[in-house]
Amino acid sequence: MTTDTAATATTTDAAGAASPAEPAALSERLAEVWAELEERLDRVPILRALAEGTVTIDDYRRLLFNLRQQVVDGSPWISRAASNFDIDHFTLRAAAIKHAEEEHRDYLMLERDYVAIGGSLDELRAGRKNLGSEALSGYMFTYADRPNPVGLLGAMFIIEGLGAKRAAGWAARFQEVLGLADNQVHFMTYHQEADGAHTGDLQAILDSGIIDDAAADEIVRCAQVVARLYALQLEELDR
Amino acid sequence: MGTTASAYLTGFGRYLPGDPVDNHGIVARLGGDDPVTARIRGMILDQNGIRQRHYALDERGEPTELNEELAVKALRAALDDRGIRPDDLRMLATATTIGDVLVPGFASMVHGRLGGGPMQLLSASGVCASSLQALDAAVGKVKLGEHPRVAVVGSELASRSLRQRRFDGIRAGMDSHFLRWMLSDGAGAVVVEFQPHPSRPSLRVDWVRHVSLAHEHDVCMRAGMDGLEPEVGRTWQDVGIGDAEASGMFVLRQDVSVLDDLAGAGLREFEQLVDIGLVDVSHLDHVVCHYSTNAFRDLAFDGLRKRIPTLDTDRWFSNLETCGNTGAASIFIALEEAWRTGRFSPGETILLAVPESGRFSFAFAHLTVVAPPDQQGAPT
Repeated sequence: MTTDTAATATTTDAAGAASPAEPAALSERLAEVWAELEERLDRVPILRALAEGTVTIDDYRRLLFNLRQQVVDGSPWISRAASNFDIDHFTLRAAAIKHAEEEHRDYLMLERDYVAIGGSLDELRAGRKNLGSEALSGYMFTYADRPNPVGLLGAMFIIEGLGAKRAAGWAARFQEVLGLADNQVHFMTYHQEADGAHTGDLQAILDSGIIDDAAADEIVRCAQVVARLYALQLEELDR
Repeated sequence: MGTTASAYLTGFGRYLPGDPVDNHGIVARLGGDDPVTARIRGMILDQNGIRQRHYALDERGEPTELNEELAVKALRAALDDRGIRPDDLRMLATATTIGDVLVPGFASMVHGRLGGGPMQLLSASGVCASSLQALDAAVGKVKLGEHPRVAVVGSELASRSLRQRRFDGIRAGMDSHFLRWMLSDGAGAVVVEFQPHPSRPSLRVDWVRHVSLAHEHDVCMRAGMDGLEPEVGRTWQDVGIGDAEASGMFVLRQDVSVLDDLAGAGLREFEQLVDIGLVDVSHLDHVVCHYSTNAFRDLAFDGLRKRIPTLDTDRWFSNLETCGNTGAASIFIALEEAWRTGRFSPGETILLAVPESGRFSFAFAHLTVVAPPDQQGAPT
């Protein structure tokens, strides 16, 4: 995807300005990205240990520590994206503003879990992003700076999808293997509900007919990049 | 009902002040060398079977340490045993019969002396069973996932109430002699965590139960009032301190005539735990029981054996004879020794039993010895 096509990718509220992409085709392309991500996640060491039941409490602590450094950026990049949607993209702007508001306290839940398993809040807050988080966060902020960053719908598809489809399963498995209380896995269990609602909102936008072919290409490309960088974040714990 | 964590005892500590004092060394500390007192003392020591104990008193009977110091030393021993620091704790639960000061609570004083970071406190006050009440609170918080690490300490400095100056000029009946030659000082502590010890066995706390029967029993063990009923205007806080001392209100007393009832009630509570399935007598491997005197050891042992025919003396542990009766500290002091001397193996179960004479209450806890995580199979 070149910047040229990115610049011309549109989804506008004025229907018919460009021919809408075929929603079914876009869904299929995103499903492929998702399938590839799942395969990659199966090879991520900490998730393999989780599946095999060899994960330790230190692994869970590390995972929360690493996620937190990027999660605090979630709402800011969504807000930045919101500010870059012009009035012709009012629907997306509204969705981004709502989403940013809903997410900007999420990291507090993560911090509570971290403290509840014996972690130090001061150390957590003094932590830095790992290599994958740096890449992911840097990409999101840069992308959000573009005028009408429609492709971010692809980022949402991956990140919210992980929350809705995988996080609760991870939480349950951590609870099972490590004997954790509900009070120690708020962040991951909460996201099943919240991100389930968000992916519903996202699907409504993708199905609404306001995405043209160029925007669809952008969305898929962004999903691919975010999927890879998210997995990298999980692979590069503490590095 | 949500999912809860488990609670494990991962560190054990105790502190017994000074050198052990044998039966001949008691008089130097507590006094009571007149012939009548000497005769009563001999009789009571024969009954209770205590051969040695510790006092935070020097050889002239003067105090050497505060109760809070005993507590902190036991806590430090437990933290060292676990390899953690006070900063790692998020809660401290203390149990004692009488702290050093009237205000503030004992836990505040112990936390102040121990150090560490911000933490939740609980001062359980009562008598012997307050130890397991404190443990219960700690275990509950850990299981809820609210605190990853909690320390619990039972600490007693009873000798202050047993010294001669408390008895000068007062009429001391059997109700005070009985305790005077039985109680002594010490502290015991445990660390409670939501994860087992990483490299050695831990004791999982399966449950803790406490029940009071005060609704149907008069006061048995007491201080601070005349007789068995507190009266308006007649407690130690109402009358002058001199009058309170002169009337023996600062002497610990026990109505020895109801102690058989206490033992019977305790056994009924135990049987109930068996009847409702909390204690599986076919899988109970150890009993660590607090009792005040060996006279009750046989009563309790025989009573338990009615329901646990396989119970033999090897599976029964008490260190009353060598550590004395240290009230709220005793169950932790006994558990620490049983643990340290290797009585327990992974897979075994332990019942802690603590009757409290104060006004008839009973506490029990059920523990299971678990291997460190790296020696357990992965859950599937």
